[in-house]
Amino acid sequence: MFNLQNPEVLRTWMLSLIIFLPAVGALVLCVLPVRGDQCLKRFSLLITFVVFLLTVWAAIPAGGPANFEVGKAGMQCVVQHEWIPSFNIQYYLGLDGISLPLVLLTSFLSVLAMWASWGIDKNVRAYCAFFLLLETGMLGVFLALDFFLFYVFWEVMLLPMYFLIGVWGGPRREYAAIKFFLFTLAGSVLMLIAILVLFYNSDPHTFSITELARIGQMPDSPFSKNELLWGRSVSWWAFVLLFIGFAVKLPSVPIHTWLPDAHVEAPTPISMILAGVLLKMGGYGIIRICYPICPDAGYELAWWVCGLGTVSMVYGALAAMAQKDFKRLVAYSSVSHMGYVLLGIGVWSATAGTSYNTDYWTMGMSGAMFQMIAHGISSAGMFFLVGVVYDRVHHRDLDRFGGLFPKMPVYAGISMIIFFAALGLPGLCGFWGELFVVLGTWSFSKTLAVIAASVVILTAGYILWTIQRVYLGPEYKGPHAEALRPMSLREKYIAVPLVVMAILFGVYPKALFDYVAPSVEKTVVEMKNWTENVAPSLKKVGWDKRSAVPPSAVGNVENVVGQRCARPTLLATADEQEAVQP
Amino acid sequence: MDINSIIPTLLALAWLLPLASFAAILLVGPRMGRAGKYAGYVATGAIVVSCFLSFAALAVWLFNHYPHEAHGGHGYEIVGPISGEWYSLAEFGGLRLTIGYYIDSLTLAMFCMVTLVGACIHVYSFGYMHEELHDVTDPLVTTSDGRPLRRKGRYHRFFQYFSLFCFSMLGLVVAGNAAMVFVFWELVGICSYLLIGFYHERRSASNAGNKAFIVNRVGDFGFIIGLMALWGSLGTFSFGEIFNQVRPVASEHHLIVPGGMSYWLLIVAGLGVFCGCVGKSAQFPLHVWLPDAMEGPTPVSALIHAATMVAAGVYLVGRFFPVFTPEVLLVIAIVGCITLFMAATIAITATDIKRVLAYSTVSQLGYMMLALGLGGWLAGILHLFTHACFKSLLFLCSGSVIHACGTNEMPEMGGLRRKMPITSITMLIGCLAIAGAGIPTMFGLPGFGFSGFHSKDSIMAQGLLFGSSNPGFGMIFFYAALIGAGITSFYMFRLWYMTFAGRPRNEQRYAHAHESPLSMTGPLMVLAVLAIVAAWSLPGTELGLKPLLEQARPLGTAEGAAGGMLLANVTVPSEHLAHEPANAARAEWSSFAVALFGFLLATAFYGLRKLDPADARRTFSPLYKLFYHKWWFDELYGFLFIRQVLRISDWVAAIDKYVIDYLADGSAKVTVIVSRADDWIDRIFVDSAVDLTARWTYSLGIQLRRLQTGNVRQYVMWLAVGLVAMFVLVNLYWNYAMAGG
Repeated sequence: MFNLQNPEVLRTWMLSLIIFLPAVGALVLCVLPVRGDQCLKRFSLLITFVVFLLTVWAAIPAGGPANFEVGKAGMQCVVQHEWIPSFNIQYYLGLDGISLPLVLLTSFLSVLAMWASWGIDKNVRAYCAFFLLLETGMLGVFLALDFFLFYVFWEVMLLPMYFLIGVWGGPRREYAAIKFFLFTLAGSVLMLIAILVLFYNSDPHTFSITELARIGQMPDSPFSKNELLWGRSVSWWAFVLLFIGFAVKLPSVPIHTWLPDAHVEAPTPISMILAGVLLKMGGYGIIRICYPICPDAGYELAWWVCGLGTVSMVYGALAAMAQKDFKRLVAYSSVSHMGYVLLGIGVWSATAGTSYNTDYWTMGMSGAMFQMIAHGISSAGMFFLVGVVYDRVHHRDLDRFGGLFPKMPVYAGISMIIFFAALGLPGLCGFWGELFVVLGTWSFSKTLAVIAASVVILTAGYILWTIQRVYLGPEYKGPHAEALRPMSLREKYIAVPLVVMAILFGVYPKALFDYVAPSVEKTVVEMKNWTENVAPSLKKVGWDKRSAVPPSAVGNVENVVGQRCARPTLLATADEQEAVQP
Repeated sequence: MDINSIIPTLLALAWLLPLASFAAILLVGPRMGRAGKYAGYVATGAIVVSCFLSFAALAVWLFNHYPHEAHGGHGYEIVGPISGEWYSLAEFGGLRLTIGYYIDSLTLAMFCMVTLVGACIHVYSFGYMHEELHDVTDPLVTTSDGRPLRRKGRYHRFFQYFSLFCFSMLGLVVAGNAAMVFVFWELVGICSYLLIGFYHERRSASNAGNKAFIVNRVGDFGFIIGLMALWGSLGTFSFGEIFNQVRPVASEHHLIVPGGMSYWLLIVAGLGVFCGCVGKSAQFPLHVWLPDAMEGPTPVSALIHAATMVAAGVYLVGRFFPVFTPEVLLVIAIVGCITLFMAATIAITATDIKRVLAYSTVSQLGYMMLALGLGGWLAGILHLFTHACFKSLLFLCSGSVIHACGTNEMPEMGGLRRKMPITSITMLIGCLAIAGAGIPTMFGLPGFGFSGFHSKDSIMAQGLLFGSSNPGFGMIFFYAALIGAGITSFYMFRLWYMTFAGRPRNEQRYAHAHESPLSMTGPLMVLAVLAIVAAWSLPGTELGLKPLLEQARPLGTAEGAAGGMLLANVTVPSEHLAHEPANAARAEWSSFAVALFGFLLATAFYGLRKLDPADARRTFSPLYKLFYHKWWFDELYGFLFIRQVLRISDWVAAIDKYVIDYLADGSAKVTVIVSRADDWIDRIFVDSAVDLTARWTYSLGIQLRRLQTGNVRQYVMWLAVGLVAMFVLVNLYWNYAMAGG
């Protein structure tokens, strides 16, 4: 069974190994007969590092059986077994260009966050066990292709997080942990309802995400045909329920307020994971689940999705500007940055008005993916850097810093780079995601694009103001000035990889787009085919306006992936373009 | 190797060398010699080699494309660009984003100018920044114990940022597409931010850095909109492709609305891009950051905020010139016109020597914009180059003065020409150049003078031509530019007289003053020569800036344009007509006259002291106040924007706290209350029901206990009765079941 000479074995076990190695590590940790916290931490770090190496190996396009094949759009390394046959629940895992970068990000940040946990000295064994369990949950969410399995991992990730905040957090940790838990749980209950609704409306009943997507995109899909409640279809309700569940995680305004509290109270490494990985699950869920399974609701609600994204961007940036707590400011900047993700995903511009041109939506969605990775790097970095200074002076009051540049030059230099990455400076990772999302938005809605573009001013405002208050100035104004010693070697080892990644993706974004683009394009082309072929035939309330499509296009069902439209120069005038937009 | 690969290679090397220097200083800067002394040599070496490479590329270009007169007799033959790609950033279907190059003679000239001026300023900085080599006492910052701040020197940091800037600026110039321009646009912005805030311990410096970056971002907001308009409808950022689409060969390079675009969108694209330029080139209404940017060290002001970065906006307008409709051009001209006039008026009243120069820069940039907006492509671009030479010279001179006196305030100076002969003479040359000193066209001989004379008079000529082509409103631009020229001449000589002429006003500072070392005066002399000759052609040849730049003139723009969709009666005149002797001579003589008047006025006030400036101040008190307070722009923006944004952000934070969290916490509280009620119901009703049942059961048990008597005969009797009863029951049911079956 474990004959590694057999490539098939390697291929089928790879993903399971990646997911469950941390969980096994957690079990071993519980019974490991060692005393001494350092040893436990080292063990956990080793586990996360091995997982990281495995994911890197899976990502290298070396042509091996378990290696990722760049340029291929579909699922790779697929594992599919029956799990609970009576409900047709499967153990179904797979990897594609959308999940791979997020898996890599997860394993990468897990290593760094584990290493950043050296300062934890309370119940280390439990901490490490929860941490590893959390990693299993996160990796599972990104790799599961069975909805039930996805849900299980989603919940698995929730509980360790609750304890990690609630036990190892700051003074108001219990409030923050419960708030985090309840917000997310409310979302996941809605998700469960949606899962069951979809399950019972599919025929044959299935939990498979790929199968559900196929059903959802069919002409005559039962999801769009069957009415569920108040004149709305199954598809509409499923989309809304799933979307709320994911939007809590993202988080989108107005269900974002768990985030600042959770971040402020969580210990530094958990903040890194929370901002770096957990928020991405929202975006991932929307790309992977909401749109492919419920395209008609996505089409109908495109304006709501994009509107929420834009509101989050502006709202988060404004709220960040008013914060006095360093960590809260970074948390609100996350709200603002994740708004780009929502906006980029939602820009359904492949409509009749653009001759079904998918390029701009592909760009927007790829931009959103890029933004997720970039934000994973920059926000984890920012939280870590806040943690570094908090460890020394034990406060986060922005008005009582200043003058850190001369006292901690390396730290200040690294901070500048990471903060500039968050500001969206070209040459660093934050820029491309923002630029592509904004550029992609224009062909969907010019108004939203202009509002989204204006956020660059606010972002510059709060980031530069923060830098000025914390790093610049003649002298440090807060307590414990004597504790401001330069960064330790361990801290440098954690920060430098983040800086390197920020620069790498800033200078050569194609490194990421090569992985992301084919899968994103596949998703977008599927949506476009649906818009072109299925949408016009849907006779429903609220559809008459948008289905201004030549009748010849109706019923021409052709799911050709990679089919590309003519260049945008074929567009009609701008006025006509406006006219067909919802 | 042919020219199409050798020039890009040379320029790529010239471009990347400063980056290498930046990386080296970033990593090992503090260990480069004592206190990072060698970092200066590394950075300077990089830029000097870049300079040689740039001139080599220019030589290769000229060797292949010697400027020839065009067939029509107007101007020079246009030579197409060398363009290509280095690598791809991202591809989405038909959309491609690349790092590429678009090299024509304008690019080459910019490369040579940036690296040459950059090299001079690098060398100058050896002397100017040399106090950063050891611990510095900053008298402008007091620490909490009341003493002036002492800090470590940051010599290597300065050169590190300088190298990053040179890299970014060259990248901006070589960029082959608009997105790449935007990338480096932001990078020069961040360098500017870092260098303005070089003395970041000073609150004013870090504020100025923030202001510069944020105001630039406001411009960039517009820039992004312009980019979106282009990208969303043309699907490309590449300069070559954009120009081919808006001015195709089929329409003989006349501006058309390409497929997929509307005229409105073309205007939006043009205005958007121009908006970015307004921010970067400090044009009205985003000019407010540049004077504050003088908080940076003087070499920074010279390189970034006079010669190169602020000129990038003008450069980009020149680059995007083919895309601008007449409406956009008119907006550019209006903005330039307002800027040049307003900034010049502020410069009259400023007493900080660097601020005078800063406002002068704003004003001169306004001239360039005005020229471009009126259709004078060559005039505007030429002024960019000549201005780079004389303005960097002026800034370096002022730096030399500041270095000697330890103050920026001109009322503290005076009489310095005796102590600083080289500085005073080179600065005089700079003043003459910026005032446009020269001999106007006379007796059939063409006009001749300092570099500023040639460029400024082409602008005047274009303004005059525009005025005669557009009777009615057209002359406003010419008159504004003319008055501006007079004011320019006045404030420049005012500056020179106040600094160098007369008697010292502060003996202590005067006693302390001295001529700067050779590392500083050397670059001054080089730049002084440039300020004189920059616009000249090598006698007997066609080798000069004008012919070179003419080769890069955007196709189809030389003939001018008549009317747009919205403003049908605006004529953008052909630039070649501006050089007609009659027009040119009139323009030259007018500007000569006003410049002379400005000079004489300044001499009367500050040189000969026949007139008292205080009298003038009293007489024109309202105007003086307006100018002195910089037209109250800072106060206005502070009130209109900054305070409002801060207020809104406070509201937003409050909404989170008092509305959303109130709802969330409230629902949690309601849940707790409901659960308490539930608990109460449990205890009162459910529990009591259960308890009651239990009690009943208990009492039943008590009752039944009585049956347990211990009497065996009684038990047997009950047993018998029970058995009989069971039999009866079973029988009954059995029969019933049988019958049913």
